[in-house]
Amino acid sequence: MALDGTATDPLQKSPLKVVVLVFVRTDCPISNRYAPAIQRISAKYEGKAVFWLVYPDKSESAGKIRQHEREYNYTLPALRDPQRVLVKLAQARVTPEVAVFDASRHLAYHGRIDDLYQDLGRARHAPTTHELEDAIQAVLDGHAPPASAPGVGCFISDLE
Amino acid sequence: MTPSPRTLALILGICFALATAASQKNALPGQLPGSNWNRVTFNRDIAPILFHSCAICHRSGEAAPFPLLTYKDAKSHARQIAAVTQRHFMPPWLPEPGEAKFTEELRLTAEEIGMIQKWVDQGTEEGDPADLPAAPKFVPGWQLGQPDKIIKAEKPFVLPAGGSDMYWNFIFRTPVDRTRWLKGIEIRPGDKRVVHHANILVDRGQSARRQEELPGAGFAGMEIKIASETFDPDSHFFFWKPGTMPQPEPDGMSLRLDKDTDLVLNIHLQPSGKQETIQPSLGLYFTDKPATLHPMLVQLENDRQIDIPPGEKNFLVTDEFTLPIDVDLLAIYPHAHYLGREMQALATLPDGSRKTLIHILRWDLNWQAVYRYATPVSLPKGTTISTRYTYDNSDENPANPHDPPQRVVAGNRSSDEMAHLWLQVLPHTLPDSTIDPRTILQESMARRMVRRNPADFEAQYNLGAVLQDRGVPEEALQHFLLAVRIRPEDAIANNALGAALMAVGRTDEAIPIFSTALRSQPDNFDAHYNLANALASQGRFPEAIDHYRAATRLRPEDANAEANLGAALAEAGNLPEAKLHLERALRINPSHELARENLAEINLRLGSRNP
Repeated sequence: MALDGTATDPLQKSPLKVVVLVFVRTDCPISNRYAPAIQRISAKYEGKAVFWLVYPDKSESAGKIRQHEREYNYTLPALRDPQRVLVKLAQARVTPEVAVFDASRHLAYHGRIDDLYQDLGRARHAPTTHELEDAIQAVLDGHAPPASAPGVGCFISDLE
Repeated sequence: MTPSPRTLALILGICFALATAASQKNALPGQLPGSNWNRVTFNRDIAPILFHSCAICHRSGEAAPFPLLTYKDAKSHARQIAAVTQRHFMPPWLPEPGEAKFTEELRLTAEEIGMIQKWVDQGTEEGDPADLPAAPKFVPGWQLGQPDKIIKAEKPFVLPAGGSDMYWNFIFRTPVDRTRWLKGIEIRPGDKRVVHHANILVDRGQSARRQEELPGAGFAGMEIKIASETFDPDSHFFFWKPGTMPQPEPDGMSLRLDKDTDLVLNIHLQPSGKQETIQPSLGLYFTDKPATLHPMLVQLENDRQIDIPPGEKNFLVTDEFTLPIDVDLLAIYPHAHYLGREMQALATLPDGSRKTLIHILRWDLNWQAVYRYATPVSLPKGTTISTRYTYDNSDENPANPHDPPQRVVAGNRSSDEMAHLWLQVLPHTLPDSTIDPRTILQESMARRMVRRNPADFEAQYNLGAVLQDRGVPEEALQHFLLAVRIRPEDAIANNALGAALMAVGRTDEAIPIFSTALRSQPDNFDAHYNLANALASQGRFPEAIDHYRAATRLRPEDANAEANLGAALAEAGNLPEAKLHLERALRINPSHELARENLAEINLRLGSRNP
């Protein structure tokens, strides 16, 4: 649902070829650390892929989410997913994980953005793989997307 | 009228100041639940663990990203808590349990970790409210009370939203107008969520300022070296990491703070995803009691062994040092960069027994810390301290700064490596109480460095300085000569060489050496002052006066320079001006005997000239 409470289906709303859902949480340090990367990748595919931030935490109000977006300089549209509809659709486990849907809105890729984190508390200086970008590019080029790779972050199942 | 000679300068390595840590902890959680109540509940089983080992950081305003004070807090992170505790990523505590205990140990037992997992598996029950222990009480604001003086970094540092770790140094100009003694410093690092650790270096010679592009702006860099102009073996650690409670220095171990001392705060920052402005402050706590106990830092390092081929998973670096005196070991600070893996420091006592001083199975630079022993470890003379550090330069080490791995050697950049161990020790007094045990330890360390690498400028210089200080200028001279051979232009080494030449009566030779120092560094007070002394001792008063004048311009508050300028003017026959400077010397230091005697003499002569 959109921040104003209206029902919104991010998979139907856009004429663009690719839809990307990015699962985040206001108090997850790992998804927060990804904010600049998420913003950068969405800008790179502007006009080709539409990005949505998805906040699955019931207790995160629209106001809190708007404030979080301002703090982290997000310019992406945000959705709340208190019923975990999008979480299920995207098979998301942790924040941050992403789901990439192709033109027919099939799930082409889900999982980590890149391999910056090897494990909790074990971050690289810079990522060496770029699954999200590869997946978007694969869908745009009509190639096979990368295999799903689990993200490292905060468990969505911890939420109410 | 003989000008008084001046003591020497010494470059010391990194000088830390030490904050003790102590626990502010509640009772340990209860035993495993009995058979009649085998459901794990938050109130009875989990809250005590969180309150005891997590809440110090996991509360509002502290370093952790979310609080862990209520059932709701814990439940909304339950699986994450189970995962990070099982991996020993949280609470962050690197040393393995051992015979030597540290203060503020933040380690969960296997039972506690198992309990959290069980709680998650059983469905994160809240339990009976009557079981909930009182929440921990934390004092808001300054932990050591209202500081006597608060100093804030002059200019903030803006940390970008993204990118890898950064290291920044803030220079605090200390606000004292005379020598004061500090019983504590509390570090407020700024936004605790992005600061991984912070460390104060005492910069008595204001040497770090030279690295600032704009005064007050600070400068980047992970490892900084402080050049100290005075022999000052007092060594304290003032270290901040998340969850560390500041503690006052132990009785008798106050830290001297002179009016031109800078405190350099070295901060390790990790971008959080949004831009952050960091402006740390320091709370200073004064005491009237000067230091009576003088700890020292013993540094083990063997950086010359570090040459790690790419792909090497288990590169070993070792070092050892034998203590020449009895000491009490107070604290330990192991340090490597991103390739460090396992670290061990062992003490082998003269009777052959061994003590593990610290053992870290999986080093993580992000959680480095100064560890303070709960009770000092007594290490008798003849104890050998040995270190074994291993390094993983393969691509399996996620912290490897190079992708693909590259050859890594020792250096100050975060992508270089180090194999350092600092031990804060308190030397026992010697049977012969006229000998300061620190000088013996200092000399032993300096000789070891020279043996290890005779081409090491600092090693030669430091040994020379120690020997000069001990009153063996002949041997000091040899090491200063070697230092100057390594760095012919170095002002401080040339100045020291000149002073040693003077001390052995070779003043003619000292004069051109001081001039070399001044060519490299025209504003070097010591070189002006020493050259003036050398010239004066040869009766070359007009030249001496020029250099004394230069010295007094550089340090208008130096009583010796004023007194000697007065003396030289008197020798040159300029009694009225001589009187002026001697009076100034006495205003700066009313107990300056030489100035008083010389002034009396001049007044007598002026009086006899103008009855």
